[in-house]
Amino acid sequence: MDRRVCVAAADESGGWTPDVRERTAAFARPVEAVLEATADSIVADDDGVTIVPDAHYPFHPSTGVVTDPAVVGAICRFLTDRTGTDLSVAVAGSEHVDVDRTAAFLGYPELVDRFDAALFDPADEPRTTVVRDVGGRSVSTSIPTRLLDERVIVVPTLRPTRTGQFAGVTRTLSRFDDRSDGSPEATIAAADAIEPALAVLDATTAYGDDPHATNAVFAGPAASVDAVGASLLGRSIDEDPVLKPTLETEPPVEIERIGSGAVDVESIRDRLSGGRLPATGDAHPAVTAAYRLYAAVGRDAVPPQLEGGR
Amino acid sequence: MNTTLLGRDSDSGTLDIGVLGIGNIGMVHLKSALAMANVDVLAVADAAPENRNRAERAGVSRTYEDYATLLESEELDAAVVALPPFLHADAVEVAAANDVDVFVEKPLARSTAEADRLLEAADAAGIAVGVDHTLRYQPDMKGVKTDYDDGTVGHVPYASITRLNDGPLGRPPARDAPPEWALDPDAAGGGSLLELGIHCFDVLRWLFGDLEVECAAIDGTLDLPVEDAATVLLRAPETETIISLHCGSYQWEELPEVNTQLRLEGIAGTISNEDHLPENFYASAAKSALTNVATRATGDEPDVFGPTFYLRAHYDALADFLESVRAGSSPPVDGEDGRRTLELTEEAYERATRTDDEELESSEVTL
Repeated sequence: MDRRVCVAAADESGGWTPDVRERTAAFARPVEAVLEATADSIVADDDGVTIVPDAHYPFHPSTGVVTDPAVVGAICRFLTDRTGTDLSVAVAGSEHVDVDRTAAFLGYPELVDRFDAALFDPADEPRTTVVRDVGGRSVSTSIPTRLLDERVIVVPTLRPTRTGQFAGVTRTLSRFDDRSDGSPEATIAAADAIEPALAVLDATTAYGDDPHATNAVFAGPAASVDAVGASLLGRSIDEDPVLKPTLETEPPVEIERIGSGAVDVESIRDRLSGGRLPATGDAHPAVTAAYRLYAAVGRDAVPPQLEGGR
Repeated sequence: MNTTLLGRDSDSGTLDIGVLGIGNIGMVHLKSALAMANVDVLAVADAAPENRNRAERAGVSRTYEDYATLLESEELDAAVVALPPFLHADAVEVAAANDVDVFVEKPLARSTAEADRLLEAADAAGIAVGVDHTLRYQPDMKGVKTDYDDGTVGHVPYASITRLNDGPLGRPPARDAPPEWALDPDAAGGGSLLELGIHCFDVLRWLFGDLEVECAAIDGTLDLPVEDAATVLLRAPETETIISLHCGSYQWEELPEVNTQLRLEGIAGTISNEDHLPENFYASAAKSALTNVATRATGDEPDVFGPTFYLRAHYDALADFLESVRAGSSPPVDGEDGRRTLELTEEAYERATRTDDEELESSEVTL
């Protein structure tokens, strides 16, 4: 099996370009370069394609905490130019903000209109139960049938999760499993059931302690892209309960630089390694307890933010 | 003014109040009121059961789901209106019908038309209306005003103010659902100009007198239904000061430091609010806490919310309003102040959405 991950970068420099059309144009060349090298099977077939970005919450794409819709647009443009396939974009949303609002705030309705694609809300889709064996345990998943029937291109962004692991392909896909209990086994089973045809890692703006514009996109098989992403964030795969079972029997991943833009993978790793999302803003329980003690002694009021979830 | 009830309470000096809406800022007002001498919080109202539970844990004995029922059931001297903006006018009308003075969270209303309705009801009933424009109560802003009023930099031809925070969508990691109303232009009345800019209008009027809007621009960093960034160029005729104002609810907030900058560029130097902020918020908080603990021995009143710096300003604003109720005087920041900040906001929106052709026509008329 081809474990190669291709990487290319835009020749961009300077700050963020707010116009999504201009960004789509800027990323067209590196996206085209990596898809030319990795998307043969998708281009050869006119079956439908569903693109799954990391759109878990409407954070600004200039932060790298969500997939840049412009990268999704560049993928749509590539597929529209080369195939007559039906395109759709699947936004998972979250328990905090529904799919419609998340997609609208991030500009997906306008983007899919431009490429004659469709937005699909997983809540509106019929589901299929798929059972997968993970580590000897039988895990039942409930996945939108369309994600099982169509070819899926998953487009995570290069960022850590709240608990510090690489968000990546597997975790992005697991958001579509209605039955997931959040365990590593359920997360693995959902991604395994969907079996994406390709993964494109949007590192154009990555996040690790703060945003970092690398302008790079990586593409390859899902497991390989997860391995590359974890490595770029300086995470040990052995310490990731989701990635370790998937990758421990796989051979090493080879990264192939293609296209004209310069990509310094080592520099990206140095910059992002160990980076985490911002602190939650919640006071440490010890601080909360200390403040409450002080307030009792000093006859002061405890601010609502320091009530400590009472 | 609520003379009947005030007369009743003037014997003891104690005011009976209710808090309508106990989300984030309502809870701050509730805790402030609970810590005040001569103030009894009789009841609170909130549609969310979890907020009512929090109030009960804070020591409030009676809670209501509906603010109107509270106003009609309790005998109050004053009420804090910390409901979403689309309920402010209705709540003040019910308060007026029940002869209760009101302290309204900013913005006073969603529009000047709504503010007029609210103020007419208050005027007809003779109740006082105060507005929680809290920026002018912050120690750093007070420091700027003291320096300016002392003439330390002479004439100020130019000033700038910036206020940024993370708005309803917050920052990663995603944890809570953003409030629906804050992103709904009908419910909120607008975006960051109404949410944050209105604070700036108030503090600038406090410093320089009344303002005129020269031009404005509004923008959104995401495809939101309301703007999350606004920039306004203002003129203060009394002091001949040109002011640029920028507000935005797009920046991840790093508490305890809040991104508000006010600079007055004078002939003899610069006045900046940053010169009046603690060099180290944590050291300042520790010092304030120790001082409060020491008041136990001295018998002095503690500085409520003192270690928090910003929350103390909310306490002071409410305390000032309640003092005016007690004294039967006009609130220090009254309904007309709140209405004028709304008027400036509307002028800025109008300028920002004016087309090039309209701008040209306007210029021709002026010439």
